[in-house]
Amino acid sequence: MTEQKRHRILMVSDFFYPNFGGVENHIYYLSQCLLKLGHKVIVMTHAYGNRSGVRYMTGGLKVYYIPWKPFLMQNTLPTFFGTLPILRTILIRENISLVHGHQAFSTLCHEALMHARTMGYKVVFTDHSLYGFADVGSIHMNKVLQFTLADVSQAICVSHTSKENTVLRSGLAPEKVFVIPNAVDTAMFKPASERLSRNEIVIVVISRLVYRKGADLLVEVIPEVCCLYPNVRFIIGGDGPKRVRLEEMREKHNIQDRVDMLGAVPHAQVRSVLISGHIFLNSSLTEAFCIAILEAASCGLLTVSTRVGGVPEVLPDDMIMLAEPMPSDMINAVGKAIRMLPMIDPQVMHLRMKSLYSWYDVAKRTELVYDHALRCTDENLLQRLPRYLSCGAWAGKLFCLIMIINFLLWHLLNLLKPLEGIEEVPDFVYPHHQHEEPPFDLNQR
Amino acid sequence: MESISKDEISIPSQPKWRKVAYGGMQPGYSDNYTDESFLEGMVMNANVVKRDMLKVMQDSVSISQYICIVALVVCVWTYTLGSTITETTLLLLDSCLLGLGFVVLILTAKRLSLHLLFHYLLNIAFFISGLYILAPIYCTLTKSISSDSIWALTVLLLLVHLFLHDYSGSTIRPPGALTNPTLTSNISLNASIVASVLIASRLPSRLHVFAVMLFSLQIFLFAPLVAYCIKKYSFGLHLWFSSGLMLVALGLVSTLHRLLFGLLLGLLVFVTFVCPYWLIRIQEYKFEINGPWDEAKLCFDVTE
Repeated sequence: MTEQKRHRILMVSDFFYPNFGGVENHIYYLSQCLLKLGHKVIVMTHAYGNRSGVRYMTGGLKVYYIPWKPFLMQNTLPTFFGTLPILRTILIRENISLVHGHQAFSTLCHEALMHARTMGYKVVFTDHSLYGFADVGSIHMNKVLQFTLADVSQAICVSHTSKENTVLRSGLAPEKVFVIPNAVDTAMFKPASERLSRNEIVIVVISRLVYRKGADLLVEVIPEVCCLYPNVRFIIGGDGPKRVRLEEMREKHNIQDRVDMLGAVPHAQVRSVLISGHIFLNSSLTEAFCIAILEAASCGLLTVSTRVGGVPEVLPDDMIMLAEPMPSDMINAVGKAIRMLPMIDPQVMHLRMKSLYSWYDVAKRTELVYDHALRCTDENLLQRLPRYLSCGAWAGKLFCLIMIINFLLWHLLNLLKPLEGIEEVPDFVYPHHQHEEPPFDLNQR
Repeated sequence: MESISKDEISIPSQPKWRKVAYGGMQPGYSDNYTDESFLEGMVMNANVVKRDMLKVMQDSVSISQYICIVALVVCVWTYTLGSTITETTLLLLDSCLLGLGFVVLILTAKRLSLHLLFHYLLNIAFFISGLYILAPIYCTLTKSISSDSIWALTVLLLLVHLFLHDYSGSTIRPPGALTNPTLTSNISLNASIVASVLIASRLPSRLHVFAVMLFSLQIFLFAPLVAYCIKKYSFGLHLWFSSGLMLVALGLVSTLHRLLFGLLLGLLVFVTFVCPYWLIRIQEYKFEINGPWDEAKLCFDVTE
């Protein structure tokens, strides 16, 4: 790889390890694969507990936990300009060429993208979630997204449905939005070496037990399924406010011995729970992509899921049973899945998943987006302001004002702490990451 | 959603684009490819209700009715402050209203319950005696504040009350109601009570204060309930009752001041004719987007 093609990327999001979820996973695996492709990747997130400062992760991935405390749902307090000094220092110290922000409700991501644009960097944004247009929360969120995306070089969505949603929410040109799905670490999610007996069919549910994940649907579906199929057992992993309802349901229908509730399952143990079952049941009411389905399919489970958001795009039709989010339809789909079960070979399914999804492929495609972004023309503040102005009658003017203040602050910072005073960090070259076999398999094809 | 099946495409080298996320980049299409089917699932203005002018006007009667009730209260306040109404007349009026309210409640109730009636009577007895004991305090509450400030504040509070009032139901719920009153309707009720206390504190004697407080509280607390019961019992009766109230209110206000009469008449016309027309006109600006990204609605009730 030539030195010119090498990107120097800063990933920004409020969500990163030790927190756990789809976004965190995405950033981690994407960074790992980009590192393997020879790019330089730095991650920036806020401090988690006493984890503050710089950490190195596998493969020489450098993570800045900036000393900024989260205030709500792992989000930092929106201060608009507060993160400018530290971000500027990191960008200059690490000699970054491109900033990549993740997740629409991460305030740190929005602020960082704004500062990066002010400083003339190219920015890419990945949207991981779906939003409606009706309620007050969504309307405000969409305005913020419009602000960030007004001036973003390229955007990435995780599914085609998510792309439609993002384009509608932000008014971005559709050709600036790329669809690059998530992937799954198939090496980590292998099926059990021995096939389970089919005398007893085990249905696994792993999700947070909240309204949006359809816990109320489960309450309706589980007793019916237990009643219809006497050889079915449920394993429910996850915790949340709706857990009480599920436990009540279990007692009411007297099926304690057939419904196991495990409580929260650490991600490292998800596989061991998954491989004890035949069918994976996902009851989400909204979902941009749903990595959980990939993990289950990679473990060789047949999936039954609600037909919401991006879920229909995730797996080929013969690997997933889709149902409308209604109890009756879900019960039918579970029945169909049970009848289909003899035709499913977990090992074959795992191999298929290996060919369908890989983080390596995701990284390659993201690399192309970076190339696109870097080819965008440089623009000064005056050329960019009209785009903010078109965001809305009031909001547009407000956005312009914020950008102008940010621009002035940046120049003030340049005076107070000149570029020459900031030392560039020497690159950390991981001893064996290009020509040798990687230390662990990130499902390279 | 899926578009795999059926029609084979003419050029074999260019397979048809599919709306799927698996299998890596689709050959021949870059990741930012936008298909013709883009936004196919979007539905606009699916939930728009076609409104009928007459229906909206009829519904707006509840608002005009309540505005008239408040106007009547203001008239009574002014007359009491001007000593046109004596405290005995006012007390007589109070007891008449209380009796009438009860008669309406009993007549419109689906089934009569002696227990409930007793419960009501007990509560009202507590309420009246409490008010009587507190009357001396109200009497001297705002001695040190000028009358102008009190009037300004009262007008402001009444505006807040009218603005936040729950016109579709009643803040004081009939027993057995399922939903709780909203925060705004509670704020509105409290604003009206504070306004009555302020007015009462301008009056010369304890009995005056007691009579006016009882009157205003009866109206603000129970008039919406009575009006709600009438409306539920018969919509025609509700319309007749409201028009009667409007005439009385307009007549009484006209004896107060010409300007106030004009203002009230204007307000009633605005609420009954202009607002419904306006509402129907702005429907065409409605812009609502639905699509596959929306959170699915559960088709059954979730009981916690």
